Amino acid sequence: MKTTQRNPPYLFTIVFISGWLISACSTMSVYSPEAYKQAVNLKIESLDLMSFATKSYNDYDEQVASLRTELKKAYEFAKGRPNNELSTNQWEILIDENRNLLGGFLKRWKEEETLSEMFILETQLLVSDAFDTIIGLESGKLDASELK
Amino acid sequence: MPNFNDFILTLKDDLLEFAKENLDEYKDELLKDGSEFVKKTKKDLERWTEGLAAGTLSEKDFEFLLKGKKDLAEMEALKQLGLSKIRISRITNGIIDVIAGSAVKTFL
Repeated sequence: MKTTQRNPPYLFTIVFISGWLISACSTMSVYSPEAYKQAVNLKIESLDLMSFATKSYNDYDEQVASLRTELKKAYEFAKGRPNNELSTNQWEILIDENRNLLGGFLKRWKEEETLSEMFILETQLLVSDAFDTIIGLESGKLDASELK
Repeated sequence: MPNFNDFILTLKDDLLEFAKENLDEYKDELLKDGSEFVKKTKKDLERWTEGLAAGTLSEKDFEFLLKGKKDLAEMEALKQLGLSKIRISRITNGIIDVIAGSAVKTFL
């Protein structure tokens, strides 16, 4: 009889804790194969185009414009996904022209017409690592089937 | 007949074991990532300083790379923050399993 009287409070506690835990699970977006593929492809395309920056920017104007469009698409795709603020912030930093990664590099190339070989190689290393942070976060996300 | 106190005792033991396994693993991963970033930064700075001295990098290039490293550190921090949240989600899923397992062990 005593056990029966104790049931409601502790059952309520278990249900409350479980509910809180389940709601805590949904604070990050789930893994998106499309976002992962997009980041990998853009990493390769960006590093490839950067290697031509010893040559005149005018000869690569169209390729840069096309890459910028693809980068913006990736950013907008990240921004549109629910609970995806951290990945969106990563894309923002990477493509921002006023920062010093891919966006800043493309801006400098345009402004200075050509860039030095060592500067290109060293920025490529940074941009490669920057893409890896995006790819690493995406691949670490839970699959939709893992959410309870 | 098992009561709520038995359940709490079982749950406490199960949760302690679960937390120890998961938090130790997480701490090791975080320390490894952090020390690798510091090592890499040190090597980068050495190369950039040599490049600046040799004239293969301009002062503007050097400054850009330094700021770029700061931006990269910010992106790395966002990744680590995200992975921590994901880790919490995984642990939370595990805790739900532990609670259910402890309840089954105690009451069934």
